[in-house]
Amino acid sequence: MTLGTTSLRRGLPRVPGGEPWPPAGLAPAVAAAPAAQADSGHVAQAPAPAPAARVVEAVAEAEPSATASAPAATTPPEAAARPVVAPAAQPVVAAEKPVRPKPEARLYGSRTRGQWIKLVVLLAVGAVAAAGILVLAARGVTTLPGVPEFLKRYPGAYLLPDTVEPGFPWWAQWAHFLNIFLMVLIIRSGYQVRTQQKPPAFWTPKRGGKKISINLWLHQSLDILWLANGLIFVVLLFASGRWMRIVPTSWEAVPNALSALLQYMTLDWPVESGWVNYNSLQQIMYFIVVFIAAPLAAITGVRMSEFWPKDAKRLNKIYPVEVARAIHFPTMLFFVLFILIHVFLVFATGALRNLNHMFGGTDVVNWVGFWLFAAAIAITAAGWYAARPLIIAPIARLFGQVSSR
Amino acid sequence: MKIVVLVKEVPDTYGDRKLNLETGLADREASEAVIDEIGERALELALTYADAHEGTEVAVLSLAPEGATATIRKGLAMGAGSAIHVSDEALRGADLGLTAETLAAAIRRAGFDLVITGNVSTDGSGGMIPAMLAELLDVPHATGLSSVEISDGAVSGTRPVESGVQKVSADLPAVISITEALPGARFPNFKGIMAAKKKPLEVLTLADLGITADNPEAARSIMLTIAEKPPHAAGVKIIDEGDAGEKLADFLVENRLA
Repeated sequence: MTLGTTSLRRGLPRVPGGEPWPPAGLAPAVAAAPAAQADSGHVAQAPAPAPAARVVEAVAEAEPSATASAPAATTPPEAAARPVVAPAAQPVVAAEKPVRPKPEARLYGSRTRGQWIKLVVLLAVGAVAAAGILVLAARGVTTLPGVPEFLKRYPGAYLLPDTVEPGFPWWAQWAHFLNIFLMVLIIRSGYQVRTQQKPPAFWTPKRGGKKISINLWLHQSLDILWLANGLIFVVLLFASGRWMRIVPTSWEAVPNALSALLQYMTLDWPVESGWVNYNSLQQIMYFIVVFIAAPLAAITGVRMSEFWPKDAKRLNKIYPVEVARAIHFPTMLFFVLFILIHVFLVFATGALRNLNHMFGGTDVVNWVGFWLFAAAIAITAAGWYAARPLIIAPIARLFGQVSSR
Repeated sequence: MKIVVLVKEVPDTYGDRKLNLETGLADREASEAVIDEIGERALELALTYADAHEGTEVAVLSLAPEGATATIRKGLAMGAGSAIHVSDEALRGADLGLTAETLAAAIRRAGFDLVITGNVSTDGSGGMIPAMLAELLDVPHATGLSSVEISDGAVSGTRPVESGVQKVSADLPAVISITEALPGARFPNFKGIMAAKKKPLEVLTLADLGITADNPEAARSIMLTIAEKPPHAAGVKIIDEGDAGEKLADFLVENRLA
């Protein structure tokens, strides 16, 4: 191979900050001439743009071939002129772009790390200050005229009829554990359904139907188990007569709940006797969770799911899917808030005894309930870990088809 | 029968894809890397045939940067028997010609009865590789098949064209390219993923294939400029004041759309 006199045409570098590609050199003697002529349209446009440094360099290398082939460009001037102008506009924009090596701080979400730390510290300080003000204000309220009498009259709880047995039966303990396990995974999978733009896999029902993401399949499957668990719990709750523990049966529940709230806020907490009777605030909260929030989550969830009759026009006009969508997520937030407060109070008001109530089924203070609780958390964590496509997909495949798209 | 399936690691179309504004090459850091969907479909076709025909060997072949091993392993997890990964620094920014030469050399080295490729990748959108391969391998080529039938010594399929559907067939060995009309990929199961770790994955360089990337005698494409796509400009709104028809017509004439 003999090299000619024409230098190689060079373009953009192959690595950032590198030399133009290919390296400077001469084109082979035979290939150069016809290539230049055949390419005359392209070459003609080369000298036209006069943008930033890098492009100019590439152009400069090409110039000799442009002059060499100049006579070849015998096309009508109008036609030749157009391609020169049109592409010339673009490189100017392009060349200016990379000349901006501004080292920007790395963003986590919408803020830099420093901004996040500042925000968290500020929020924490604010929360502590607000809590302090709240406690002082509550203590102030208890000194107001009439308030001590109110607290005496409504100590925070009203007495249950003697027919209600104390303690927590085995089925309540099991329902509670299953509820922890399912709720954690339901909230997680629900959040994934909400945020994930690209699900790792999809599931299609066996008898055909709409393809849904594997996370939605998991969410809905867990929902069904959760509803079954809840249904069994409620049936046993009423059958055993224990429903009176978490369903207010007297209007006294309201002033007692206010009293209990005030006592919580003063940090001088009402006496715990959860083994026998909840205070009215607990009672109302448990009632809301079991009989309002849970059904609300279920009915809004069903509305958004494939189980809902899509063609029922009247029904769908009365209960539009947008309403369900607007309620479902805040309901989850309510559950999360409830769980946080619930767990905090369980641990702050005699952890070992409380854990024995719900996990051990006894009213004594020892570590049995705690270890059973720890086991429940470990199983839930294992469920969290296992809730990944690799493990879910084979299970989902038993009920339908799993595909990656 | 030995089937070689071409798969390509591409930036996921789910996210924003970027080109490096200095080199004009795909910015692989900017988005998640996945097997191109059309390659998965090609592999699914091969695996479906292999499931039904004992003694079929399916190999995936990919020309990709060093870091693409995980993506290629996914092909093994789906069920391919072996994988060939051609990776060489000199292939950075390779044009279609060099890519096809390299792939053809790797295919010839592995041996083949049938090569299955996607019709076009989502990142380069070239769609030229299958035809180039057939030319370099000197075998028949059936392009853009929307259904495929593989028999012992031949491959046939349908090919949608403007006026209808063509039925084409070729004797093996052959190269075929498929369209998105073919079934989507299976989801790798646990067994497949575990098995994939033990399957052979051969990594080849250009030297192994006897290809020189910078042979000055061979004409290669280079990129001269690169520019970011300008943001979408707002469209023109025509409000009907009784003369919307005229305005529409004027608009079409003005923009040479009529």
